[in-house]
Amino acid sequence: MIETGIPKVDEFLGGVKPKGKNLVYYIQHGVEGEIFVIQTVYNSLKNGGTCVFVVSSTTPDNIRNLFKEFGWDIDPYKNNLFFVDAYNPLIGALSNEKYVVSNPDNIEDFSKVITDVLKELHPGTIVFGSLSTVMDLCGETETIEAVRSWNKLAMLYDHVMVYNFTAWPYSRETLDLIKKDMFNAVISIGGIAERVIFGQYFGILKSDWAKETKKSMLFRVLRPGGIKLFIPKILVTGPFDAGKSSFVHALSTRAISVDRFGTTIALDHGHVDYKGFSADIFGTPGQERFDPIIKLLSGESMGIFLVVDSTNPTDFVRAKQMLEITKSYGLPYVVIANKQDLPGALTPEEIRKQFNLPDDVPIIPAVAKDKIGVYEAFEVLIDKITGESDA
Amino acid sequence: MPDTIDMVDKVLADLKKVGGVEACAAASRDGLLIRAILQQEYFSESFAAMSATMLGAAEAATTELGKGVPHRVIVESEHGRLIAVGAGRRALLIVLVDSETGLGLILLELDKAAAKLKELLA
Repeated sequence: MIETGIPKVDEFLGGVKPKGKNLVYYIQHGVEGEIFVIQTVYNSLKNGGTCVFVVSSTTPDNIRNLFKEFGWDIDPYKNNLFFVDAYNPLIGALSNEKYVVSNPDNIEDFSKVITDVLKELHPGTIVFGSLSTVMDLCGETETIEAVRSWNKLAMLYDHVMVYNFTAWPYSRETLDLIKKDMFNAVISIGGIAERVIFGQYFGILKSDWAKETKKSMLFRVLRPGGIKLFIPKILVTGPFDAGKSSFVHALSTRAISVDRFGTTIALDHGHVDYKGFSADIFGTPGQERFDPIIKLLSGESMGIFLVVDSTNPTDFVRAKQMLEITKSYGLPYVVIANKQDLPGALTPEEIRKQFNLPDDVPIIPAVAKDKIGVYEAFEVLIDKITGESDA
Repeated sequence: MPDTIDMVDKVLADLKKVGGVEACAAASRDGLLIRAILQQEYFSESFAAMSATMLGAAEAATTELGKGVPHRVIVESEHGRLIAVGAGRRALLIVLVDSETGLGLILLELDKAAAKLKELLA
C-alpha cells in the first residue's frame, strides 16, 4: 500500500490502499521537493515497512543525515532500510551499501540491480531519490523504458514505487509521459508568487485508484518537523469581549497580543502547529473604533473564526456586521459559541436560530479560557478550508 | 515564479548589507510575511504582522487628520530602532537598526529598496 506520510495526501489518496502501485512526486525546479520522499520513507519505516532508497544525486550517508535534520531517528529501523548506491561509484568512491550500481550511467546495469532488489526483498516501498538524475545520466527514452519495466515488476512482486522527479527542461513528450501517463498517481509540487502569497504548494494531479481532487495546498518545510501544511492567515474576529484573544492564545503554540486594559487594540497574532498543519492566526480588535485596522488586517485570509459570547445575544448583530467588515463573503467560517461555562449561555442550536445562520455553518461550543472546544473548532475550519465536504 | 522570490531576497540582502541594519523583512500590507532576513525565523511572522499594523494605524491616523500619508514609521527604543516604510500598495519593508548608527544612509537605502520592491510586486 502507498502511504506517503504527507499530511492530507493520504486522506486524499485514501479509501482503497492498493499494493503494487506507483507514485511520482513531480517537482518544479527551485522548490524544496527532496523532503517528500524522505518523509514518505520515514513514515513507512515507522509503520513497520521495508524501504529501499535509491540514491543518485548524493551519498547514502548524506541521506541518513537528512533524516536527522528533520528530527527523525531511523536507527531503530536500520534493518528495514536498504540503500541502492548509484552515487559513490560515479565519483569513484567506495560504497558500503549492500546494493551498488557500479555504472550509474548505464541503464542496463541500473536495471539489473533494481530487478534484483525487487525480486529478493519482501514487499516494501522502493524510493528513488532523484529520477531526473538517472535520466540525465542514462538518457530520457532509456530511463522511461526502464521505469516502465520496473513498475511492472513491482506490481508483480507487490512493491510500491515512489519517485522524486524534478521537472528540468526535458522534452515535452518526456514531461507529458511522466505527468499524465506512466504512473498511477502524480503529486505535483511547485512554487507560487501570487499577489503577496509566496510559497510552495502541492496538489494531486492524478490518482487512478482514488477520486480525483483538484485541490492544492500550501506547505512549508520545517527542520525538524518535515512537511507541514501551511495556512498563512486565519482571522479571528467577533464583537467586543467575546473572547477572541483568549481563543487565539488557547489555540496557539505561541502568541503575541497588543492589548491595553485587557482589550486588544491592534491585533493578536498566534502561530499554531497542530496535526501536520502550520497556521498563522490573526485576531482583530472588537470595538467599532478599530474598524479601519480590522479592514487592514483581514486581507488574504483563508478562513475565519467568528467568536461570539453565548450569553450575550445582543452582540450578534455586531458579529454579523464584522463578517461584512472583514469581507469574508465566500470564505469558510466557523462560529465559536464561547463562554459556554457561564449561566445563561445559549446552546449552539439556539444561537443558530437567533443568528439566522444556514445549516452548513458549523457552530462549536467552547470555553476559550479553559481551551475547551478550540482544537475541535480548528479541525472543523481546516477541513472546510482544505475542502472536505463531509466536515 | 520562484524568480520573484529570488529577487525579493536580493533586495533584502542588499538592504541587510547597509551598516547598522540588523534585520529586514518584506511583508504584505495586510500583515503576511513575504520574506525576511532575521536571526530567528521564529518571530518573523509576528514581526511582520505587528509592523504592518503599526504602519497601517499610522497611515489611518495621519490621513484622518489631513496630514497626508506618512513616509515612514520610526520606533526608537533603548536597544535599537525599527523602521517601516510602505512599498507600493501591496507591501511594506521593515528594518531593525542598532542604536548607534546614523539613520541618513539607511533611510536613503530603505527608500530605494522600497521602490524596487514596489516594482517587483506590481
